[in-house]
Amino acid sequence: MPTPIRRVVATTAGIVALGLLITGCTATGSNEPVGEPRNGGTLTYASGDAEPSCLDPHVGGNFPQALISAQYLESLVSRNVDGQIIPWLAKSWEPSDNGLTWDFTLRDDVTFTDGTQFDAAAVQANIAHLQDPTTLSSTGYLALGKVTGTEAVSPTVVRFTLSEPDSALLESLSQPWLAIESPAALKRSQDENCAAPVGTGPFVVKSWVKQNAVTLVRNDDYDSPPTDAAHTGPAYLDTIIWRFIPDSASRYAALQSGEVDVIDNAQPDTIVQAAQSDSIEHLDSPRPGASNRIEFNSSKAPFNDVRVREAFIRSANVDDAVSSLFQGTATRSYSALSSVEATAVSDPSIFKFDPAAARKLLDDAGWNETDSDGYRIKDGVRLSVEFPVSTNQSIPAEQSVFEQIQATAKDTGFEVKLAPLDLSSWYAALASNDYDAVSAPYTKVGPDVLRILYHSDSIVPAPSGYFANLAQVNDPAVDELLTEAARTADADTRTSLYAEVQNRILDGFYILPLYDQQNHYLVRSDVVGMRTLPTVAVPTLYDAWLNR
Amino acid sequence: MAEPVSRHPATLRGRLRFARTLRRLAVRLAGAVFVLWAVATITFFAVRLIPGDPALAVLGGPGSQASPEALAAVSAAYGFDQSVFVQYLAQLGRLATGDLGRSYALNMEVGPLVLSQLGGTVLLAVLALILAWVLALALATWSTRGGTVAARVGSGLEIIAAALPHFWLATSLIVVFSIWIGVLPPISTGGVAGLVLPVLTLGIPLAGFLGQVMRESLLLALESPFVLSARARGESERGVRWIHAFRHASLPAISLSGWAFGSLISGAVVVETIFARPGLGRTLLNAVTLRDVPVVIGVVMVVAVAYIVMTLATDALSRVVDPRLRLS
Amino acid sequence: MSGLEVQADRAPRSRPFSRHRRPRAAETIAAVLALFLVLAAVLPDFLAPGDPLGIDPLGAFQSPNFTHAFGTDESGRDIYTRVVHGTQYSLVIGVAATAIGLSLGIVLGTLAGMLGRIVDFTVNRFLEVLFAFPGLLLALLFIVIFGPGVATATIAVGISTAPGYARIIRAQLISVRGKSFVEAATVLGRTRWQILLRHILPNTLAPLFVLATLGIGQAIVWAATLSYLGLGAEPPTAEWGAMLSAGRTYITSAWWMSFFPGLFIVLTAVSATVLGRSIDKRMRHA
Repeated sequence: MPTPIRRVVATTAGIVALGLLITGCTATGSNEPVGEPRNGGTLTYASGDAEPSCLDPHVGGNFPQALISAQYLESLVSRNVDGQIIPWLAKSWEPSDNGLTWDFTLRDDVTFTDGTQFDAAAVQANIAHLQDPTTLSSTGYLALGKVTGTEAVSPTVVRFTLSEPDSALLESLSQPWLAIESPAALKRSQDENCAAPVGTGPFVVKSWVKQNAVTLVRNDDYDSPPTDAAHTGPAYLDTIIWRFIPDSASRYAALQSGEVDVIDNAQPDTIVQAAQSDSIEHLDSPRPGASNRIEFNSSKAPFNDVRVREAFIRSANVDDAVSSLFQGTATRSYSALSSVEATAVSDPSIFKFDPAAARKLLDDAGWNETDSDGYRIKDGVRLSVEFPVSTNQSIPAEQSVFEQIQATAKDTGFEVKLAPLDLSSWYAALASNDYDAVSAPYTKVGPDVLRILYHSDSIVPAPSGYFANLAQVNDPAVDELLTEAARTADADTRTSLYAEVQNRILDGFYILPLYDQQNHYLVRSDVVGMRTLPTVAVPTLYDAWLNR
Repeated sequence: MAEPVSRHPATLRGRLRFARTLRRLAVRLAGAVFVLWAVATITFFAVRLIPGDPALAVLGGPGSQASPEALAAVSAAYGFDQSVFVQYLAQLGRLATGDLGRSYALNMEVGPLVLSQLGGTVLLAVLALILAWVLALALATWSTRGGTVAARVGSGLEIIAAALPHFWLATSLIVVFSIWIGVLPPISTGGVAGLVLPVLTLGIPLAGFLGQVMRESLLLALESPFVLSARARGESERGVRWIHAFRHASLPAISLSGWAFGSLISGAVVVETIFARPGLGRTLLNAVTLRDVPVVIGVVMVVAVAYIVMTLATDALSRVVDPRLRLS
Repeated sequence: MSGLEVQADRAPRSRPFSRHRRPRAAETIAAVLALFLVLAAVLPDFLAPGDPLGIDPLGAFQSPNFTHAFGTDESGRDIYTRVVHGTQYSLVIGVAATAIGLSLGIVLGTLAGMLGRIVDFTVNRFLEVLFAFPGLLLALLFIVIFGPGVATATIAVGISTAPGYARIIRAQLISVRGKSFVEAATVLGRTRWQILLRHILPNTLAPLFVLATLGIGQAIVWAATLSYLGLGAEPPTAEWGAMLSAGRTYITSAWWMSFFPGLFIVLTAVSATVLGRSIDKRMRHA
C-alpha cells in the first residue's frame, strides 16, 4: 500500500524539528516540494568510524557494526521517537506476572534472505549464538545477562526464561547488537558469517572488499519495517556503497564534491559550513545511553574526597568551552543520561562555574598550600589530575574542551595532565587504574545504562581488564536502587527509582556532564527520507530515495 | 684492488668476470636474508615490548568482554602461554616457510591482506618518486642555467617544498583543487584522477629534498676538472651538462632514492589516511594501534623486501651511470 | 655505495674560516632569522610577553588584527605568543633529533668505514636493516612503548634519521681514506688516530653540515606528523607541529591557525639550510 508523500515529508520534518529542539540550532533546508519517491539508484555512505572487523554485530558489538548492520538485520522490537517500544519482528509480547518469563508473538510472514523461515526456532538459535562464549559477543552477551533459556512454545511464540525480572529486556532487544540472523547462516564458520551475515532487512550484503567498501543491494522480498517507518514493501534504493573515510576534512570534502551522499561523525566546523550550503542537510541524532561526561576516579586521591571533586567541577568553565568550540551544534548537558532518554534527570544548579567556591572547598579539604608554579599541594604532594584522552574517540573539538577545562582548573590550583593516547594504550591506562579523570562514551538504549556505569559490580574488571564503572562509585544505596529498578515492571516506579539514582550520582559530584554523545549526519539534499532509528540513533536507508 | 684484467686472454677474462658477478650476487643474497631475519626479529620483539595481553587483540580488541575461558582458549591456540623465545622461534619458523600467519583483528590471512594492499602503495610510491625526480631535475637544471636569481628562487622553492608536512600539504591541495577549483576528487575512488593529489602530496616534499641534493652535486660537478677539460675540448654546453655533469650529479640522488622509497612508505601512512586509499601505510597504522602483531610483521617484511629490491635496482643503475663503480 | 665518494679530488681543508668573503643578502637575512629564533627559544617572554596558555573562549577564531597579530585559535589563545613560545620545543626537537641522528650516524659510520671489512660488512647490513624499516614505524613503536611527549618524539625522530647519516658518513669516510693526502700523512709516519682526527674526520664531516641543516627542518616536520597522528606533544604545549595539526581541522574557516606555525617551520628550515650552506662554502673556499 503506497504511503502518501505527505507522510514522508512529515516524518523528515518531525525528525528535523526534534533535532532543532534538542540542539537549538537552525537548520537550512530546501523548501521545494519533493514529489513521489523514486525507485532505483546507488547511494554512497561514508563512515568516519573504524571499519568493523566483522559485519555480524553478535561478535563483539560496537557502534560501527550497529551503523551498517541496521541496513540488513532487524531486531525483535524497535523504539519510536517518543521512547515507546514498538513491534518489529515481534508483533506483541507478554511478561508473566512474576516477570520471570516473556512470551513474544512473532510475525509469521517473514523469511530471511537465504530462504529460511523466521520463526521461534530462529530466535532461539540467535539467543544461543549470543550467549555462546565462542561467539565472543560483548554487548549482546551483557544485555542478555538475566536470560537463562528460551523455549519455542509454538512456531510463532518464543518464551524467554529469566533468572530474575528484567525491566530493560525490551530496550536491550531493540538494539542492533541483538538483531536476528538466519539460523542456517549462523551455522556457517564465523569467518563466513562475519563476511556476509544473513538477515531479514531491507538490504543484503553483496560483497565486502576489506579496507575499501561494503556493497549492499536491495532485498526485493522485504516487507517487515518497524511500525514507525514511512512506507512498507521493498526499499527504494538499488544499491548502497558503504565506505570508510577516517579523516573528517576529507569526508566532508567528499560530500561537498558529490563523491559520497551521506557522511556520519560530522564535526562542528563542517556542520557550520553545511548550514551555509543549500546542497547539504544536517541530521542531528544524539545517541542514547549516557551523556558525554568526565568521570572522576573516586577510588584514589585526590578525587576520593567529594570536596575535591566538587572543587574541580566548580573550577571548570564548560559552558563557554562548549559554546565556542561546538559553535551551537552541541547543547550543554547537566545530566548523566542522554537527552533522548525520557527518564533523564538534569540539574544545572549543581554544575555552576564558581572558582571562588572551588578555592574554598580546596582549603577545607586540606589543599591550602600553593607551590611555586601555582598548583595546590598537601603534605608535599601536588594536586595532580591524570587525564588520559583517547584520540580515536575524542574529536578535536572535544580535546579542545578538555584543554580549556585544564586551563580554568589551573587557575584554582589543579594540575591537569592530558595524555593523548591511542585506543589500546588508553584502555591499558584505565585497566591499570592509572587515571584520575576520564571521558568514556557508553551507548545503550534505556536508563539501564546507569546500572552498567554506576553499580559497584561494574568495578570488577573483565578478564581483559576492562570495567565500565570508571567513576568507581561504590555506594550500597545506589546499588540497591539500581537492582530494584532493574526488576520493577511498573514504568513510573522505574522512572522514580532511576531519578533517585541520578540525583545521588549528580549530588556526589562523581561526574561532570558535557553534552550528549554527538551523532551528526550530513546528507546531500537530493537524498530524501533518510532517518535514524530511535533505538541507538543509527541511520536507516530503508525510506531513503534519490531525488535526481 | 682488482688485478689488471688486461693480462688475461678473453675467455678467461669472461669467466673471471662471471665468477666475480656470481660471488657478488651470493654475498648480496646472504646479506638480504640477514636483513630480513633482523627485521623480523626486531619487529617481533618491539611489538612484544608494548604492554598488554596479546590475546586481547584477537578477541575483539581492548575493552572487550571476553570471558576468561575465551582468553585461555586463545592463549593456548596461539601459543601465547609459551615463553617469548619459543614464540619467537615459532614465528621465525612460520616466516621461513612463507607463512605470514593470520591477522588477530581482521579475520584474514596476512599474506592475502598484505598483497591486496601492496599494489596501491607501491603504485603511489613509484609515481611519487618519478614525479620527485622530474621536478628535482627540472628545478636543478633551470636554476643552474638561469643565473643567480633563478638559482636562488629554485633553491628557495626546494627548501620550502622539503619543509612541508604531508598532512598539511594534502589538506591544502584538497582545499585548492577539490573545493575551490573542483577539478579533482578529494578522495581516491579508483581511477587516475584520484591518484593525482596523493602523488603530488608525496612527491613534492621529496622533490624538494632530492633537488637540494642534486643541486649540490651538480654545482660541484660543474666545477670539477673533467668538466673543464670537456669544455676545453669544445663540447657543447648541453653535452657538458647532460652527459658529464648530470651523470655525476645524479649519483647521490640515485643512492638516496633507495632511502627515499622507505620514507615514502612513511608518508603513505598519512596520505592513505587522508585520501581514504587502501594501502600498506594505513594497514600498518591500524595494526600498530590494535597490537595486531602478524600484520605488523607482515607489512614490515614486505617493505623490507621492497627496499632490498630497490637497493639492488639503484646499485645497478649507479653502475650503469658511473663506469668507475663497475670495477670494484 | 654513495655517489658522494666520487667527487673530484680536492685539496683538504686546513683553515676553518675565511676572512675575505662578504656576506650576501640571503645569508644576512638567514642569520637574522636564526638569531630571532634562538632569542624566541631562550627568552620567549621578551618577544611575546603574553601567556601562551591563556584561554579566552569567547574570543576564539579571531582573524589577524591589531590586538592579535596572528589571530587567535579555537580556545582564544593568541597565536603569535604561542608560536614564539613554541620555538623552544620545535627547535629542541629539530636540533636534538638531528644531533641524536648525527651522533649515532657518526659512530656507526666511522665503525663501518675505519675498522676493516668484516665490521664494515656487518654494520652495513645493520644499517640496511634500519633503513628497511619505515621511519614512521620506528617512531610509532617507540612512542607507543614509552608514551607520548616531546622527549619521546625527539628520540624517535632521531633514531629514525640515524641510518641515513651513518650511510653517508661511511661512504664519505671510505672516499676520503683513499685520497692522496691521507696517503701522504701515512707515509710521513702519523699514527692512525692522528690521521683520523686531523685529516679524515674534518673532511668527512663537512658535507654533513649541509645535510644536518636540511635535517633540522625535516625533524620538525616529522614531529608535526606525529602530532597529527595524535602521538606528539601533550596539550596544551604550544609546539608548532601540534598547532599545525590542530589548525588543519579549521583550515577553510580559520587559515591563520595553520598558516603561521607552518610559516615558522618553513622559515626555520630555510634559515638553517642557508646558514649551513654559507658556512660550508666558506670552509670550502678557505
